[in-house]
Amino acid sequence: MHETAIGMSVVETVLAEAGKKNALKVSKVELEIGELTFLGTEQLEFWIRNGFDDTIAAEAEIVFRSAPARINCDACGYEGGLPRKEDPADHLILPVFSCPECGSTKITITSGRDAFIRSIEIETK
Amino acid sequence: MKTIQTGNGKTIEITVDKSLYRKNQEIADANQRLLDEHSIKSVDILGSIGSGKTTLTGQIVARLKNRMKIAAVAGDITTTIDADRIRENGGEVLQINTDGGCHLDANMVKKSLEVLDLKNLDLVLIENVGNLICPGGYPVGAHQRMVVVSTTEGPYMIVKHPHIFKDASVLAINKMDLAEAMEVDLQQLKSDALSIKPDIKVVFTNGRTGQGVTELISALNLSE
Repeated sequence: MHETAIGMSVVETVLAEAGKKNALKVSKVELEIGELTFLGTEQLEFWIRNGFDDTIAAEAEIVFRSAPARINCDACGYEGGLPRKEDPADHLILPVFSCPECGSTKITITSGRDAFIRSIEIETK
Repeated sequence: MKTIQTGNGKTIEITVDKSLYRKNQEIADANQRLLDEHSIKSVDILGSIGSGKTTLTGQIVARLKNRMKIAAVAGDITTTIDADRIRENGGEVLQINTDGGCHLDANMVKKSLEVLDLKNLDLVLIENVGNLICPGGYPVGAHQRMVVVSTTEGPYMIVKHPHIFKDASVLAINKMDLAEAMEVDLQQLKSDALSIKPDIKVVFTNGRTGQGVTELISALNLSE
């Protein structure tokens, strides 16, 4: 359900940015969704479209890009992806919040827990 | 903001680069600074509806109330049931109703901190809305996070909700007395949690009887 709140925030920000440029129409919105945000893009698109209804962004194309999780290890300096544990019996792929190189749990998640409006495309006079 | 002219003056691409979570993080950071200024410890308590968050919060309050001045912030979609239950255990309680919102956010907690008498508090327990998914994405500024899961949620709730554990330092596996009836293996739940978050402190509890609550308080570093 947090897609509702994030979706409305996208709608407000996009319309405000478009308004500043006196846009007649918003034709494209590009979003980057971090892997660790738990945001479902299908639901998110539903709520954004819901908010765009009857606005200059009603026909906008919404493009989602995914940002994979990345970590820095404070112990050994490893920089890279978050390790995963696969359990074929349960068809599960679990993130593991520790360093894949040295096993330290002193890690900093540097990417993947945020979501961004990267750009919008507008039409003006 | 960067503007790129891509067409004949009709179509413009605008770089926005605006984070949808940064505002929450900034307020969460400010909340934590405010708590630090008053030397107040704080715990954000997460878990499903019915996992036992309120019962355990009440048990913690009952055990610590003679040593510490405690306030609990209870987040719920509606009603003051949880706040009333914690108050019975002797804590100052503030109810936040999210009116349908599925999680507490940093701004709601900020408003609570404005109402609480911070000069006369040692500990703030923030009981989040019952939900294992959404609250994970919204830090509220607490110093640590505790997740409560219960055996009645079945054997897979930890592996199905791995992300809630990424910022948690303590896991209470509650309703330990019902594990056998539920055919849930307590050690398997513990090992599931440790495989996702190797440094999480796992405590088995029974919120009704208070079994394990002393260990829970110690895992939260609240015993001194």
